[in-house]
Amino acid sequence: MVTPIFIVATALGVGFAIGVLNKFGRNFTGALVLAALSFMTFISFQWFYALTFNNLSEAYVFTGGFKPPFAINLLMGQYESIATLMINLIGFLGAVYLYKSLKERGSDAQVVYLILIMALNVLVMTRDIFNLFVFSEITSVAIAGLILLEKGTRSISAGFKYIIATSVISTIFLIGIVFAYFITGTLNIDDFIGISLSTYKGGTIVVFLIMISAVLELKPFPANGWGIDIYEASEAGFSAIISAATTTASLFVLYKIMAFAGAEWNYYIALIGMITFIGSNLLGLKQDNTRRMLGYSSIGQVGLLITILGFKDILGENAPFIFFGILISHYFAKAGLFWLSGIINASNLKAWSIIRKKPILLFLMGTFIFALIGFPPFPSFFAKWTLVMDLVKTGNIVWVIGILLGSLFEAIYLFRWFGYAIKGDAEKTEEYKIEFHKIIPVWIVALSLYVLGYFIAQYNEFTSVINFIPLAFVALIFAIDFMPVLIKNTIAIIGMIFYFYTIYPQLDNLRLIFEVIFLIGGILALIAGYLHKGKRIGFYPVALLMYAGLTGILEAKTTLEFFYGWELMTAGSYFLIIRGKRSMTHALSYMLFSLAGAYAILTAFGIASVGQSTWSLSIINNIQYIPLWAYSLLIIGFLTKTASIGLHIWLPGAHAEAESDVSPMVSAILLKAGVFGIVLTLIGMGAENNQYSELVYVLGWLGAITALIGNLAAVFQEDAKRLLAYSSIGQLGYIVFGFAMMTHLGWLAAFTYTINHFMYKSILFLTIGAVVLRVKTHNMYEMGGLIKKMPFAFIAVLISIIALSGVPPLSGFAGKWLLYNAVILKGWYLQGAIAFFSGIIAFLYLFKLISSIFLGQLKDNHRNVKEISIWFIIPIYILIVGLMIFAAKPELILQPLGTMISQYFPEGGLNWNGGMATTSIGYWHGTHIMIIVGIMFAILFSWLAFLSRKAQKVKQFNIVYSGERPFTPETTHVSYNIFAGYNKALGFLVLPWITDFWTLTTNIVHDISGFVRRIYSGNGQTYLTHIVLYVVVIYFVFFN
Amino acid sequence: MNIDFTKLFFTFLGLMIVLNWGLLMSAIMRKIGARVAGRYGIPWFQPWVDLIKNYAVRSQITHGIMFYLGPVFRLSGGVGLFLFMPILFGSNLWSNFSFQGDLILILYFQFFGMLGMALGAGEGGQPHSFIGISRGLSQFTTIEVPMTLAVISLAVQYHTLSISEIVAAQQGGIMNWTMFTNPFATAAAMLSLLGAFGHSPFDLVKAPNEIPIGPPTEYHGTFLGVLRTNAAILHVVETVLFMNLFFGGASNWFELIIKSFLIYFWSVFVGMVFPRFRIEQSVVWFLKVPLILGIIAILLL
Repeated sequence: MVTPIFIVATALGVGFAIGVLNKFGRNFTGALVLAALSFMTFISFQWFYALTFNNLSEAYVFTGGFKPPFAINLLMGQYESIATLMINLIGFLGAVYLYKSLKERGSDAQVVYLILIMALNVLVMTRDIFNLFVFSEITSVAIAGLILLEKGTRSISAGFKYIIATSVISTIFLIGIVFAYFITGTLNIDDFIGISLSTYKGGTIVVFLIMISAVLELKPFPANGWGIDIYEASEAGFSAIISAATTTASLFVLYKIMAFAGAEWNYYIALIGMITFIGSNLLGLKQDNTRRMLGYSSIGQVGLLITILGFKDILGENAPFIFFGILISHYFAKAGLFWLSGIINASNLKAWSIIRKKPILLFLMGTFIFALIGFPPFPSFFAKWTLVMDLVKTGNIVWVIGILLGSLFEAIYLFRWFGYAIKGDAEKTEEYKIEFHKIIPVWIVALSLYVLGYFIAQYNEFTSVINFIPLAFVALIFAIDFMPVLIKNTIAIIGMIFYFYTIYPQLDNLRLIFEVIFLIGGILALIAGYLHKGKRIGFYPVALLMYAGLTGILEAKTTLEFFYGWELMTAGSYFLIIRGKRSMTHALSYMLFSLAGAYAILTAFGIASVGQSTWSLSIINNIQYIPLWAYSLLIIGFLTKTASIGLHIWLPGAHAEAESDVSPMVSAILLKAGVFGIVLTLIGMGAENNQYSELVYVLGWLGAITALIGNLAAVFQEDAKRLLAYSSIGQLGYIVFGFAMMTHLGWLAAFTYTINHFMYKSILFLTIGAVVLRVKTHNMYEMGGLIKKMPFAFIAVLISIIALSGVPPLSGFAGKWLLYNAVILKGWYLQGAIAFFSGIIAFLYLFKLISSIFLGQLKDNHRNVKEISIWFIIPIYILIVGLMIFAAKPELILQPLGTMISQYFPEGGLNWNGGMATTSIGYWHGTHIMIIVGIMFAILFSWLAFLSRKAQKVKQFNIVYSGERPFTPETTHVSYNIFAGYNKALGFLVLPWITDFWTLTTNIVHDISGFVRRIYSGNGQTYLTHIVLYVVVIYFVFFN
Repeated sequence: MNIDFTKLFFTFLGLMIVLNWGLLMSAIMRKIGARVAGRYGIPWFQPWVDLIKNYAVRSQITHGIMFYLGPVFRLSGGVGLFLFMPILFGSNLWSNFSFQGDLILILYFQFFGMLGMALGAGEGGQPHSFIGISRGLSQFTTIEVPMTLAVISLAVQYHTLSISEIVAAQQGGIMNWTMFTNPFATAAAMLSLLGAFGHSPFDLVKAPNEIPIGPPTEYHGTFLGVLRTNAAILHVVETVLFMNLFFGGASNWFELIIKSFLIYFWSVFVGMVFPRFRIEQSVVWFLKVPLILGIIAILLL
């Protein structure tokens, strides 16, 4: 084992050597720096490995051969080894990234850089408080030096402010140390711990001074104006080091000081962290400068880590896992983002659209952002999960809310930025070059995040159950993304078929229904993808990611697995949605609603785990602690996915703007994930002895109103896909309404709707999407008369709208009939009447959809359009066959469904006698009705065909129209605002006041952010005042 | 399903009776309307003449397959309603196929013809058809609201959705009729009937003189003949539905003719008195008094 003192010795030795050897050129000195850093990294790694895997005990190193207090001692324990490894690794990678930059600045800069890394190592390892002071000074000077080496007044000003601020902080620190020595006679941290410093007279003041300076070094909000400027002003490579390495060291210093400060500090530390986390992320909202925004994000993340330190006693043995899980994600991701910002060199967020010229950079950026927010499979996901679970379990729900709120703020600005990158208008078209030495470190940190995510998932028995096979498949598809669509699509379809085949025996009937919707539906939607030529870069990995998540939530045995799948699905669907044209804002609002919903679910899972000894998903069946709240949170979380009224504003745009074969994926399929969640929750609430009747009562009304508003809004759309999107909102309203009834029939109706909606909405979105591909517009009034050109599309739409509207004999009627029976037997008459009213409103938009597109007058520019693509016709007609089978033999589906529902609601099901279904009030024979209607229709058709056998087919415009031929189809085709009268009568119901509400909320948050931001005047004196005031305020708060 | 030819024969016979009674009834109503307006009016056999003329027209045109299917859908809708409706109480032979589906089937099967007709007319490409359809659909949504509430109220009252059983429950004297046992539901439904029959003030759909005759503007010859046939059947079947639900049903054809005449006359009577609503007026109208009556019918359960 190489003793850790060599970390310091190497850095110092090489530093001095460079002074002598610089005549060999800067390449030589640069290589020397790299060699030194790699050796330092090696030492740390060696210790880390030995301490972690070989059970080596921690080691003290005594400088000069004396024991304290006569000499300084360094400690290399497990945490120290991790922290120094992190610092040295990022130091090394940073040096690679900065290689040219340091070379240009000269060997002095190389030395300063090396000394900075060394100082950070010592900050971690030293056990001497004065030594700590000295090296924090060295750190400050080194950082200021690196900033001042940057050209430009901005960096000079920032560097100067930094020096001034840190010297004030150091002064406070030094005063504390002097007093500490005065009252205890020692400077050794271990001695402080032994003698419990705060019991001495004046000891609390000493601790306060030392503590406050350690906190101030971490740039707590709002006394951190000086700290943010340096992120913006220094070169990206330095910002990365400051954000990743310095932060790690400073947090470690705080950790050491907390060891002797006493437990009474924990609460205040947590509070300071929380204020910083929320405040800093709030301010991040208003930033349009990339580096500055990342600076806020860094400080915010540090705030979260400070909070975790404050909770370290409460979190117990999980504390290191949580702390390092979040720290490492932040550390890699933030370094990566800062480095990327140096490569892209676009200071304004909107200018980041140039990044997508190199899609692989976009992948890296996405990796970092998703890691920061805490998505799987990154370490932060598991850490945040454990943090929330433990905090809720220990009764700290308010803190959880704070953490999730701060995370949401952070997500807003990070995903907005990401949206600009993926979809923003490309303003600049200038080329940029990626230098090899700059991109390598970025790749290393990105891949490390994935690898660490995998390993951290093996942390203990409850996280190690994660099924990585679907993710591995996604990775495979990602690896072959350079191949043409034909190959990737085939592999994806085969993979999904194979996966379905292997997984379906393991699923119960409830899950099997959803698995069929998710995977078989997914396969059908993928078939349409054969239409695409070329490579369709980026589509297959994200589509499969969504399916991996969807199947993950079905296979989940534990709450963690469920949440893991849920987040994968969210990530995948976000990328699918943002692929559409003009999808930037819709994808953002989708992501934010999804995240907020996910946080609600996460909190609810935490509450559910209170008092339980297992993580099994079945714990939601027996929630012991504030169950009403837990169930409400779960339902709210899932309602964001079903887009119930109030939480629906993301849906219309997201579905309408998605690509033609993506719309069914995110509509017919994805929304069912929310339905599955609601089903699970309602099962958990207990069907038999339902104590939550108020909750489901509210849910029932919500479903009915959603159905009404969704359908009514669909009537007034001119964009065909938007119309279908609003229709989905309405349809999901029925489903929620049906489940909320909590009766056998209600559930049967809701499942019938779920299956039907999957089929007909897939057909409609696929068909309309395919038509849109042909006619190049979404606006129905620009189409018309397409029945002549696309008979197959017309028939598909005709059948699906008959099914959707619930007209017998097709399968939609089964849903209506069941719902009527259920409503009457349940006694929810008024809600039921609203739901049925909504069902009739559906006729309006369905008629508009089919007639505006396919009937009426063909437009001149569509005279040469062809039938929709065969690749769409195949899945559409497969689904139509399914729809027809359901209609002709409803018992094939309804009987097994009934058996399944009987587990939860044994009473009140359908009685089957052959094909005849009866309830206590009604009866219905689907097959016979189909036969009767079919025969009657055939007879009447033959009769009319016979009577009008000589009818002459006439051309377009040959109509009874005031004695003339209306040769302008635009004016003859009545489509635009066709329901104007209806709008005048009932349009007030669909005024966008919910959108207005969310807009107002957004504006208020942004205005607060803009207002608070003004405290950062850019004036160094103001910043100093902040520091002093902060100290005073904390003093008074702490000492009451 | 075993085929019972006796029953099929009776069903066909019933359809013919209903068709002819529907034609006669429409003649009588037109005659009444003419007399109210101070005209002499048509001879009583005029509908038959019209029908024969329409079926006999030699030159016909078509705009395409959906245009062709529109009247088929429409007539299937009318005949289908007849098939699923129990016509005479207590008679197995005159109950048609009503044992295959209940009241909900009837409610939703109404849309079968409407939707098909709307699509057929749509392919004609005639702007007036579109205008008529958009009005018709708009109006229909709110017509159904009081009707839905009334149906729910009835289903709860009688604890069945079977029309035959609802009729059975009303036997044994006039005071057992729903009209008296559940007056609010009856009132709500009878107001909604005004819209369903499309007489003034709710005749903006066809709006004679404004948009020729609305949806069927492009239809002529046999197509129109089919539509007229359907109208005759549909008027009777719908009155029979109301008769069954609210007025004790009928145990013989004579009773059916009297009751259906009176129910139909109610809409004609109102039509004689009130002028035409604009669409936004009629849409909202059903959400006022009829809706309140319907809600009262629900709340009184």
